[in-house]
Amino acid sequence: MSHNTTTAVTTPPAAEAPPVPPGLAPPASPPPDEPPLLRTLAPLLRGLERQLRQLLDSRRHDPLTLLQRAELEGLADDLRRHADALDVEKPLLVIMLMGGTGVGKSTLLNALAGAPIAAASFTRPTTRDPVVYFHQSVKPERLDPALRLCRLVQHDRPALEQKVIVDTPDLDSNDLSNRDKLRALLPVADIVLYVGSQEKYHDRLGWELFKEQRQRRAFAFVLNKWDRCLTGEQGLRPDEDWLRDLKAEGFEKPLLFRTTAQLWLDAAQNHPGPGLPPPPPQLPQGEQFADLRNWLELGLTRLEIEAVKARGVGQLLVHLHDAVAAARPPELTAPAERVQAAWQATLAAEADIQADVLVSTLEPYQTEVEHHFSVEGQMPFRGLMGAYLKLTTRMRYAGSTLRDRLPLSGWKGRLRGNRIETPARWNLDEFIHECTRTAGERVLDQRTTALINRLLIDAEMKGFPLALLAEATKSAGRLEDREQWTQAVIDALAEIERQATHPTGWRRLLRATLTLLGNTVPEIALVATAAWILWNFFIYGDIPDFFRMALIVVIPLVVIIVFHLLIILLLPVRWPAIRHQFRAELGQRLAAALERVYLAIPQQLAAAIAQERQQVERFLTEVKQVQEWLAARQQAARIAELYGN
Amino acid sequence: MEPTEHRLTISQLAEDFRWLEDHCRRQPDLVALAGRLRLASALTRNVVGPFLEGQPARPLHIAVVGGAGTGKSTVVNFLAGAVVAEANPQAGYTRHPTAFLPPGPSFPWPSFLGFLGPLQRLSDDQPANTDRDVYQVKRIPAREGAEPHPLAGCVIWDCPDMTTWAAENYVNRLLEVAGLADVVVYVASDERYNDEVPTQFLHLLVSAGKAIVVVLTKMRAADAAALVGHFRQEVLGRLPVSPSGAIPPIPVMALPQLTPDERRDPAGVAAPHRAALVQAIRAVCPSEDAARTRTVVNAARYLSVAGEGLLDVARSDLAQLEAWKAAVAAGQRDFEERYRREFLSGERFGRLDIYAERLLELLEPAGAGRIVSQLLWLLRSPYRWLRDSLYALVVRPEVLGVPEKTVVEASFQSWLDFLQAEALRKAGTHPLWKQLATRFAAELAPQARERFTHNFRTFEVQQRQDVEAAGQALIARWEKNPALLYSLRGGKWGLDVAIIAAVTYYTWPPGWLLLLIPVGVALTHQLAEWFIRCLVEGTRQRLRAEREALLTATLTQPLADWLTQWPSTGGTSLEKLQQVLHRVPVAIRRLEQRVSERVTTAFPPPAASPCPVPSVPKTA
Repeated sequence: MSHNTTTAVTTPPAAEAPPVPPGLAPPASPPPDEPPLLRTLAPLLRGLERQLRQLLDSRRHDPLTLLQRAELEGLADDLRRHADALDVEKPLLVIMLMGGTGVGKSTLLNALAGAPIAAASFTRPTTRDPVVYFHQSVKPERLDPALRLCRLVQHDRPALEQKVIVDTPDLDSNDLSNRDKLRALLPVADIVLYVGSQEKYHDRLGWELFKEQRQRRAFAFVLNKWDRCLTGEQGLRPDEDWLRDLKAEGFEKPLLFRTTAQLWLDAAQNHPGPGLPPPPPQLPQGEQFADLRNWLELGLTRLEIEAVKARGVGQLLVHLHDAVAAARPPELTAPAERVQAAWQATLAAEADIQADVLVSTLEPYQTEVEHHFSVEGQMPFRGLMGAYLKLTTRMRYAGSTLRDRLPLSGWKGRLRGNRIETPARWNLDEFIHECTRTAGERVLDQRTTALINRLLIDAEMKGFPLALLAEATKSAGRLEDREQWTQAVIDALAEIERQATHPTGWRRLLRATLTLLGNTVPEIALVATAAWILWNFFIYGDIPDFFRMALIVVIPLVVIIVFHLLIILLLPVRWPAIRHQFRAELGQRLAAALERVYLAIPQQLAAAIAQERQQVERFLTEVKQVQEWLAARQQAARIAELYGN
Repeated sequence: MEPTEHRLTISQLAEDFRWLEDHCRRQPDLVALAGRLRLASALTRNVVGPFLEGQPARPLHIAVVGGAGTGKSTVVNFLAGAVVAEANPQAGYTRHPTAFLPPGPSFPWPSFLGFLGPLQRLSDDQPANTDRDVYQVKRIPAREGAEPHPLAGCVIWDCPDMTTWAAENYVNRLLEVAGLADVVVYVASDERYNDEVPTQFLHLLVSAGKAIVVVLTKMRAADAAALVGHFRQEVLGRLPVSPSGAIPPIPVMALPQLTPDERRDPAGVAAPHRAALVQAIRAVCPSEDAARTRTVVNAARYLSVAGEGLLDVARSDLAQLEAWKAAVAAGQRDFEERYRREFLSGERFGRLDIYAERLLELLEPAGAGRIVSQLLWLLRSPYRWLRDSLYALVVRPEVLGVPEKTVVEASFQSWLDFLQAEALRKAGTHPLWKQLATRFAAELAPQARERFTHNFRTFEVQQRQDVEAAGQALIARWEKNPALLYSLRGGKWGLDVAIIAAVTYYTWPPGWLLLLIPVGVALTHQLAEWFIRCLVEGTRQRLRAEREALLTATLTQPLADWLTQWPSTGGTSLEKLQQVLHRVPVAIRRLEQRVSERVTTAFPPPAASPCPVPSVPKTA
């Protein structure tokens, strides 16, 4: 027998009449015209993988934790691996040896191969590079990528044609990199041969790995170095102890082979010539290496392989379903409504305070505002009345104009405690910008951060996770800025102005009448007075004296003053009168602005998350469908022993 | 230190270690430290305590430890010289430690409160797989006609393993005995010798400064030398540095695969193996006193190293506490900033104006001078009217700012909100934040509010006094200093008189230029007003600064201190952690000092190599 790692090796054919290992049914041949179950499964799995990757790639409002993401990505990889492995005529069954250092994994593989293909020695740990043992008809490219990097050994044993046996590094030595290599290989395995020895059959490290993997793949057990277990001492034998442990883990009737691989390897090496080497002499009682070999060669028929593969996919799907269901976004529609109600109150209170702050910032400039209003209010007046009003307004607000022109800004500011400097030329927009800037710097900016904190706490108290809202509210808070306040103040002022200049109802009538009369009566009075004087002069030759001449001016003036008084009484534009109205208007506008910015966030988020949830639900139903499809086509092969409950 | 005092220290220290250990087990990333703490606790109770009590060095304790199935019981039998330990094919069969006393004269069993900690001594004989916190003591049967037992002054402990999945429950019993031991026999089979879990245990033993003998078992006799070499290189070559700084030489023995006959008759058929083993053990403990002293001194050193490592245990807790502290401080900064901007920048301290008036009045003469000053007041009236009306045109109306109380309360609320949001945001990251988040609304916020209300009241009372005091001080400075007051008063008067005189003199005979008199007099008064206003303005600035300092001192700083402390009060684990962290290093230092005192007085320092290796009887 000669073996090497690059060319095919010849190995004796399997024993003609193999004894059937206990617990294994005689191999059944597959029904001839069974549809190729596994090949049809591959596209389904690919579809699931694609969707899962989409789920992972889409930006989620309810972000996955790092652990969830890693798990789902691992599952997506598994889906692809399964799909690729199944999409062939004869799927390969990967059987992986797993166990602590020194239990004889490599010796076992060597004994199976009948030659030392994997390094075995007394130094621990021995195997650092995994060995892959597979049939020569299988092209290395067909192996899983994780296996291609290992040492590849080919053979020509037809009984093992569809099987790949992998020897792995240990899981418990001081060389921690070995453990990583094993972990990288394990996802490829369909069946794990958990190899133990008298010392290590239930070591914690191996046992934990087994518990972690047992839901995902098939397990069979080998108790190697069986000779060491037969000490003749009192007490529970290791195999019995192990079976008890496994039973507690849910393996009622596990496949457990008691082997002494070293003896078989020695026998094989001492046996020259072709043909199966005879069993070594003086085998310990109950040695089952031959059973193990038979099970691998004959017990695992095509039917069994397909069943193991299908079961592996089924378990993967269960796992996938659980993982995706656990990562399903929460249902937040009801909390969102509660949050909205709570926020409304908070925002209204906040708007109230903001309005107060803005009004009090504007307060010192009431004369300017009044001035502005007066000017606007007098726009419709023309002629004598217009000219008179302009003149009086200018006189009345001479102070504010003067103040702006006085070159005192430096100490004026200091004495007044850093108030706003009005622009030299009066401009309402600029002025209000300045006002809101000051208000923002002094008060409102800090209130915004405080408001966001308050809102977040409200939300959390109403059952809406704070973490989901944090980002949205923060970016909203950035938008909701001075622009908004400026706009609100300008709008409120404009509204007040509109109400003042374009009143409704009886005020409108009054204003129209006043405007009409104010624009006509003084001129009429002037003309009438002049006409009267002229009439007297021409008809009666009455030369007007100074008093009469003065009447030309005085009578229109009196008329104008009367109208002015009427305007002041009936259409007032004094600040105390506007203030209240302005405050109410501003409060409403600010509340509306705040609500526009914040109020929709919970519902939008809830809606977006609900959509994500739906997407996940759809994916879950699809997983369920594939599961059902698979369950309906599960074949009744004898593989139950490989799986626990 | 009185005897009772060190007992108290020891039990307190052991208790603290135990608490820390529990604390570690609750945090996944600290579980690795739990074993070290358990060992520290065991060393305190089992080694340092009895030593300070003055208990004799005899018996020495030999603990046989190793992975499951490596042959610990076989090694125990070899040491005992008879089959006393139940060897069992089942891996991890032994679940509690058993002590084997050699035949011969009996010695007092160590008695110290807390000796072997939670382990109870079993009075009756029970199988070794009894899975409870117990230990057994058995006596090795004497062989008739044999020479005295080679390990006559020693107790041999058969220990459970540390590798099987069930070991998680009983590894503490193993650590208890390992802490007690003067010599540890580390058994490793050809299969296990490079395993991670036993090697970590070996590292722990080395760091505790135990004398160690390694026994490699089960290899083929031909491989023995190579295996020992490989073990030295792979495992012993990577040992950590022991507390004494040097790596002590660790003897390694090989015990090849034994035949059943050899196993059954350790003192007969297998005598050569046994003799080598006993020889190795006696080599590492030349005399009982020296061995015990080494154990105790190394234990004390290990404790002080462990004490330094305690911060590791608390690192994450303390980091979170720091984060909380930073959050509280940020909140405080925001609070003060808001107060400054929203209130203080607009605050004029209106009451100071009254004091400005009074200062101005002080400049006016008293008594008969009143009449003259009234006259001057009349003279100044036109100027005053003109000035006031112009001022009224130019000046902005005073606006009442937001009241101080509103600002402070709103800022306080924001501070709390900020902290609560922070706690909720981080609730998932650490138990500290989780606890804060859950207890915030019900406990922290009401308590904080109560404190705030109380502090604010203090603040209000003090600040009212502040303004009054500043105004009074202004007045008092002039009133208490008549020289200054009279010179100022006289200066103003002199100026007035000089102006009147000058105008009268230069414009004589009286004409309309006499109008210059009211103008001049008004100007002097205006000058005086400006002067006083500058004075008051200075006071105002100072008051602002003082008000801010007052806010910090009476309101925000006490509140911030209280908030910072809050997570570590009220019987929380953080409070306990801080107490323990404070207490443990002190106790360790005290014990270390006490140990070194006792070592130098009770046992004179050993010479370089005082104890020759006792010869081992060659015959079995």
